[in-house]
Order: sequence, then C-alpha cells, then structure tokens
Amino acid sequence: MLELREVSTRYGPITVLRSVSLAVGAGQLACLLGPNGAGKTTLIRTILGIVRPVSGSIWLDGARIDRLRPHQIVARGVAVVPEGRRLFPKMTVEENLRMGAFIEWAPADFAARRDHVFSLFPRLAERRRQSAATMSGGEQAMLAMGRALMSRPRLLLLDEPSLGLAPVLVEQLFAMVQAINQSGTTVFLVEQNARKTLEIAHHGFLLQKGEVVGAGSAESLRRSELVRHAYLRT
Amino acid sequence: MPPLELLLQQTLNGVMLGVMYALIAVGFTLFFGVLDVIHFSHGDIFMLGAFVGLSTLLGLAVVGLRTPLLALPPAFAVAVLVTGLVGVGAERVCVKPLARSSPLMTLLATLSLGLVLRESVLIFYPRGADPKPFPQLLPAGGFEVGGVAVRYENLTILAIGFAAMIGVDLVIRRTRMGAAIRAVAQDPEAAQMMGVNLDRTVDATFFLGSGLAAVAGMLSGFYYGEIHFIMGITGGVIGFSAAAIGGLGNVYGAIVGGLLFGVLQTTAAALIPRGSEFRDVVAFAVVMLFLIFKPSGILGEKSVERV
Ligand SMILES: Nc1ncnc2c1ncn2[C@@H]1O[C@H](COP(=O)(O)OP(=O)(O)O)[C@@H](O)[C@H]1O
Ligand SMILES: [Mg+2]
Repeated sequence: MLELREVSTRYGPITVLRSVSLAVGAGQLACLLGPNGAGKTTLIRTILGIVRPVSGSIWLDGARIDRLRPHQIVARGVAVVPEGRRLFPKMTVEENLRMGAFIEWAPADFAARRDHVFSLFPRLAERRRQSAATMSGGEQAMLAMGRALMSRPRLLLLDEPSLGLAPVLVEQLFAMVQAINQSGTTVFLVEQNARKTLEIAHHGFLLQKGEVVGAGSAESLRRSELVRHAYLRT
Repeated sequence: MPPLELLLQQTLNGVMLGVMYALIAVGFTLFFGVLDVIHFSHGDIFMLGAFVGLSTLLGLAVVGLRTPLLALPPAFAVAVLVTGLVGVGAERVCVKPLARSSPLMTLLATLSLGLVLRESVLIFYPRGADPKPFPQLLPAGGFEVGGVAVRYENLTILAIGFAAMIGVDLVIRRTRMGAAIRAVAQDPEAAQMMGVNLDRTVDATFFLGSGLAAVAGMLSGFYYGEIHFIMGITGGVIGFSAAAIGGLGNVYGAIVGGLLFGVLQTTAAALIPRGSEFRDVVAFAVVMLFLIFKPSGILGEKSVERV
C-alpha cells in the first residue's frame, strides 16, 4: 500500500533521511522504532508532502505521490495523528473533528462518523463545545485520534501517539490502534515504546540517524539483539 | 463640558468612520493570521478599491445606469472583485514569497508595492493628482432624534459596512474556506495535514481582506464626497492601528479596534479645545498606550512582541 524507495530528505544542508526504503502492505500494522532525533517525524512529514524528498520515490497504492502537495496526498485516503497532536487550539472539539473530515467537508454520513468517534471516546461527546486548548493531555490525545478517524482513512499514520500519556491511557490507546487496524485500516505507527508497539504490530523497521538499520516481523524484532539492546533494555 | 447631544452626535460620527476603519483592519488581521506578516500596502489597496469603484460608477453612468439601485450593486461587485484580485496578486508577488524570510523584507516589499500603487493611480488615472469627486448615490435627507442629526446617507454607510462584516464573519465561521483560514491561522502544518490547500487558502484570505478594503474605499468616497490617491496612507495606518488595538490575528478585535479608533477621533474633537485639529494626535496617543500596556491587543492572544 505504502512504499518508500531510497528516500532522502534534507532540511537545508542537513541530511535527515538517508536512502530510506520500506513498505507497508494493505491491512498491515507496521511500526517504525527509533530513538529521538532519528528522523521518524521527518519521515512522516515526507510521506505527507510537508517536506519534499531530495531523492527517491514514495508510492501509495502503486501511484507515485512524492511530487504531490499535502492536500492531494491526504485526499488519497491518508490521515495522521501528528507528533504533539497539533490540535486546533481555538476550535471546539466538534470543530476539530470537522477539520478531520476537511477533504469531504460535509459528507452525507458526517453525523454517523462523528457519533462513531464519540462512541469510541465518550469524553469527547461531553466536551464537544469546549475548545481543544482547555482539554487535558489524555483528552487531547483522544481528540487527535478521533480527528484522524473522521476522514475514514485507508492509511493511518501515527507519530508517537502515546507520548505523555498515563500508563492506563497508553494501554487503551494501543488496544484502540489494534482495533482500528483490525477493522481494515492500514496503520503505520511511529513509536519509542518498543515493547508495547511490538506486541500489536505485524512488522516493523528500525531507524537510526536517518537510516533503516533493521526490519522484520514483530516477532523477529522482539528477538533481535539490536532491539533488545537499544529499546527493550533487557 | 460639551452638551450631551454633541457627544452623542460625535459618537455616531465616530461609529461611521469606525466601520470603514474596521473593514480595513480586518484585512490586516486576516493576513497576519494566515502568514504572520503585516501587509503594508493594504492601505493603498483600500485606495485602489475606491478608484475602481469610482471608475465603475462613471462607466455605468455613461451607459445610463445612474440610479442607486442599478449602479451600486455592480459598482460594489466590480470594486470587490478587481481589488480582491489585485490583493491576491500582491500577496503572490511580494508577500508570500518573502513570508519565510526576515519581516524586514516583507516590510520593504509591501511598502514599495504601496508606492507603486499610489504612483500608478497618480500617473494613469486622468488628472490623478487631484481629489476626485465621488458620485453621491446614497439617499439624501435625514431626521433628528434627541438633538442628534441622523442622515440617511450615513445609515446606508453603516448598513453596508455592517453587512460586509457580517458576511465575512459568516464566511469565516460557516464555510469550508473559512475553516481552512482559521486552521491555517492556528497551525499551518496541521491544517495541511487535514487536507487544507495552503496556497489556495492564503489566496482566498487576501481576496477576502482586499475585497473588504474595497468596500471601505467606496464607503469612504460616499462619506467624504471625494477620493484622493494618497488616502491609503492614512487609511492604512489607521486600519493597522485598529487591528493592533484589537489584537492582530483576531477578526472581532479588529472590528472593535476600528470602531474604537473612530469614536476616539470624533469624541476627542468634541471634548478637547481645538480638538478637531488634535483628533489624530489623541487617537494615536491611545494606540501607543495600548501598544505599551497591552501589546497583545484587546482581544489578542497571539503576541506581537516577536515581530
Ligand atoms: N524543521 C527542521 N529544520 C531543521 N532540522 C530539523 C527540523 N526538524 C527536525 N530537524 C532535525 O532532524 C533530525 C530528525 O528529527 P525528527 O525527524 O524530529 O526525529 P524524531 O522524530 O525521530 O525524533 C533532528 O536532528 C532534528 O534536529
Ligand atoms: Mg518525532
């Protein structure tokens, strides 16, 4: 479904991604693990067209997307829970959800989609008229997830969605990501929480200093020396 | 102490002026919202709107459309459309390409563009150096309540001005493009991640803001009875001040700031001896006090200190 072929990305003179190749099949739950500063967020921004790769190509369902603009890529069924959530602080919960469906704006089933999100996160229903800025960290995480689901994406990108959440919420979040994937959405999950991530992922990639240094099934990654040493601390 | 009627009268006059200032200020604040820039040629866009409106009215008169109902709607439409497109052109040529470089570059580029607009009217408009009489198409006459003279012409200006503001408010709060504008103002990258077309949204914002300035330009023509190629300098400074008082980036703040500035000017004229000579001094002194004591403006959240 998603494929990167030797993608390199630079910010000015600094090369952040070096010839990154990876593929995520339809229906898969793939993960990208890597330490701070490895280039994980840059990879997400590159997929979305926020930054353009200097070389290599990105493919979505067999079509090349690395020369498209972000809104064109999103229109092809990609949604994201960005790093740091990036909610619209002065918009209400409901307006944020509406932004999640921006591409279609007023789909016939808008109410059904919103109510589906409310059923997943009842707290959001209670706070629908409240501005996003006034919500707790956990509620903001829910809203970011709900917002991403509003477009009924085929590919969901998640950039460290568990960051800053209490352990109970992290647990819930991972269960939800798994459920979303099981309902048919392809998921590409960027995380630092390797243990939890490898419990739900089918397969994954390791990114270090902008390079893919490992790839394989979740099972094999859990066993690999590199992961055990660098991420699982066992 | 001046009589109460005089104060009321001046407040009414101030609201009149304030509506025009507000229409200019909304543009400044919208542009700052989406691009974090001050578009210093916006005052000259306002002037251009007045001249496009005037030309259209004169053209319509030639083909026999002289009655208000036949002439005003097309004149406003043409002025908004043409000025809006010029605003988009200005943004594409000298605002957005520089928005990511130093604010000084944008300052220089937009100040220069303002000069070009002024000089163009001066040179290319027939006898461009002279003030141009503006056709008086708004209803004449009026009435008096409690010693305050209310002219139909002024009521019409108020009605058109408020209608324009309500229209913009509806666009911003209720439409898809309005949501895009608000989203870009709050977080451009997140907006793009939701599928917002950044370039188109910035274009739409400049079209909207410049179109409003054109409405202000025409109202100014009706109010003063004439327009002049340098009217954009004062108009721009006042509109910018109004936006700053209200808090840059906040549309309602800009409206409040515009009305406040207008009322300050006219009541200063009534309250202070020889006040009509000092009205701008008083109004701008208040602006400076605002900038010193509340730099984020009445309703502002975005701090302007970083500019
Ligand atoms: N906008 C930017 N401009 C310049 N350098 C950046 C920018 N964003 C990130 N970087 C640099 O790129 C590297 C990778 O960052 P990032 O992709 O955020 O990593 P991660 O998400 O894995 O923590 C870091 O060294 C960071 O300093
Ligand atoms: Mg990151």
